[in-house]
Amino acid sequence: MDSLNALLGILFMPLLASLVIVLLGSKRSKAGPFIAIIASVGLLVLTFSLISNGMGEAVRFSWEWFHFGDHSFELGFFFDTISATMLTMIAIVGLCIAIFSLGYMSGDQAKGRFFAGLTFFMFSMLGIVLADNLVMIFVFWELVGFSSYMLIGHYFQNEEAKLASKKAFIVNRIGDFGFLLGILLTFWQFGTTNIEAIALAVGMDASTINTFIGALLICGFIGKSAQFPLHVWLPDAMAGPTPVSALIHAATMVAAGIYLLIRIDVLLAPSILTFIAYLGAFVALFAGFCAYAQNDIKRILAYSTLSQLGYMASIFGLGFPGIALFHLITHAFFKALLFLSAGAVIHACHHEQSIFKMGGLYKKMPTTTACFIIGTLALCGVYGFSGFYSKDAILIASYGAQVELFYVLVLGALMTAGYMGRLIWTAFFGKANSEKALQAHEVGFNMLLPLIVLALFSIFVGLIDYWPFALGKTILVDLDTIHHMDGYKSIHKLVVILGSAAWIVGLFGSLLFYGLGNKEDLLEKRAPSVFAFLKGRLWIDEMYSYYVNEIQGNVSNFLNFFDVVILRGILIRGGSGIVGAFGVGLRMLNVGKLNAYSIWFLFALLFIYLVASGTL
Amino acid sequence: MTIGINEFILSAGLLFLIGFMGVVLRRNTLVVYMSLELMLNAVNLALVAFSRYNQTMDGAIFVFFIMTVAAAEVAVGLAIIVMLFRKRQTISLSELNQLKG
Repeated sequence: MDSLNALLGILFMPLLASLVIVLLGSKRSKAGPFIAIIASVGLLVLTFSLISNGMGEAVRFSWEWFHFGDHSFELGFFFDTISATMLTMIAIVGLCIAIFSLGYMSGDQAKGRFFAGLTFFMFSMLGIVLADNLVMIFVFWELVGFSSYMLIGHYFQNEEAKLASKKAFIVNRIGDFGFLLGILLTFWQFGTTNIEAIALAVGMDASTINTFIGALLICGFIGKSAQFPLHVWLPDAMAGPTPVSALIHAATMVAAGIYLLIRIDVLLAPSILTFIAYLGAFVALFAGFCAYAQNDIKRILAYSTLSQLGYMASIFGLGFPGIALFHLITHAFFKALLFLSAGAVIHACHHEQSIFKMGGLYKKMPTTTACFIIGTLALCGVYGFSGFYSKDAILIASYGAQVELFYVLVLGALMTAGYMGRLIWTAFFGKANSEKALQAHEVGFNMLLPLIVLALFSIFVGLIDYWPFALGKTILVDLDTIHHMDGYKSIHKLVVILGSAAWIVGLFGSLLFYGLGNKEDLLEKRAPSVFAFLKGRLWIDEMYSYYVNEIQGNVSNFLNFFDVVILRGILIRGGSGIVGAFGVGLRMLNVGKLNAYSIWFLFALLFIYLVASGTL
Repeated sequence: MTIGINEFILSAGLLFLIGFMGVVLRRNTLVVYMSLELMLNAVNLALVAFSRYNQTMDGAIFVFFIMTVAAAEVAVGLAIIVMLFRKRQTISLSELNQLKG
């Protein structure tokens, strides 16, 4: 099969699956999961065949979409090593999540809607990955937003899920507005939105880089990848089904932001890159602190995702897009593993999500516990696990580029290990703290299988030397750069020592502090003010709420008043009223009597005389 | 007592007012018509007086035209009134109120 057909198949198979599932209707929705799984398997097969065919060569196809005047817009594929890496990751993680969902959603009433959404989500994400121009990326970008809205709001009977889906959509719209303006300005500046053509133009004349355009373009990234201050939607998005959380947080939506950054790397001015680096480091630390005040197992993982996205953004800003991609991939696998394991736990505990009501799960669910711990160790960057390789690279690169960010990121790693330790010691060890946890039992094989597969990936995916060359090229370039940095050996030693110290102190410190299987949060008990501060999460949500309710609400009330009273009331109604009253008066003159008409005639003459003589 | 321009204007104005009152107050179309003629003649009188006062012939010539037009108008107007009577069997203005829009 040639590459074009393979690419078309990859893009449209999930869409086709989604349409078929929708057309099956609710009565035959039992077939939905299987169609989704078949599509995911087909996707994986096509991806592998595509990668094994064209080793490392970029593939381009484009068609004219529409044109006006001299400008034409194109739809097209641009498939290089970065897209190949993303595509492989999405295909593998997507398949695991689809299989897991088969078990997780088995009791759900609206399976068809769920799996249609899931496959549509994959279609949108693949569109972003394969697109060759910014306009097309934007189209699929919005489709991702739409499908996340559908999936987060899956339990729409639940008020919280309904609000969360709206919040995710609206907060993303804010970022997307900036992104759209950025695309328009890019088109204005370069006359094209084709990624390669822009890179070429920038390569020929670096003065075409515009800070303002870059600042607008990264608004899209800040929204989708949930960076400060638009991060508020991500923790709330946990109201959706757990496989969706895995898909959004691991493979797709949030990865799209980082992927966009890597794609538009050339367009970003140094000041913008520095901004992203500091923003990412701040988020990495900020989210780490927030996670300590969360009790919901999924929300803790959500803040951990924010923090890891901060790492990726930070290292991207420091000029290592390859390493950002590397961490994106390893993170995708171990975070998908963590979310699916959390999903298995939630499934087993009958939708109990508070870690303080779990406890002692390792005896009842040994495999899930093992998988969760593997995911945690990978997340904490324990030596030998995939997270170690990418985090190690991030820390080394940041040490070379910006030492103060290095210390922030190490502190972030310490926080990560701390809150993950808190989660594990509380939820999986000790003894059961609620009736639901007591009755928990290991989930079925079809849910364990994806966990095991992802666990294997979480352990081994960091061994980049064993990746197919076509996938790892971009990453290897950046890794090569840091290997040839001055004093690489000593920095590496320092990073390994500090990194290991971070997870050891974090994991065992939290064991000492929180103990095994506690019923309540000891931080809340011992230092309520600290806990309250962390729970406040810098009061960003409250600020938005205040802004929307008080400031924006009042402005809109005033505008509404202006519209209703002044515009519609006085100007429009008043104007028509005056003319209407005039008309009523004139109609009254029209009495039908000749005598009356002569009197009006006289008055009119008198009036004309008075006007003409200047009296009036 | 000499009769000057003021007296002429006064009598022309009175004639015009009487004619106008006739037009406004009377209900009989024929009488209204005669009142109209009265108004025309009031104007004629004023014009002749001004002509005399100014020692020019302009006003007097104007009067000829007005009388000619008035004669033609009477011919048409009387014809209309006759037709109206044939159609409606009345020439009372209080019953001719179909002009109302």
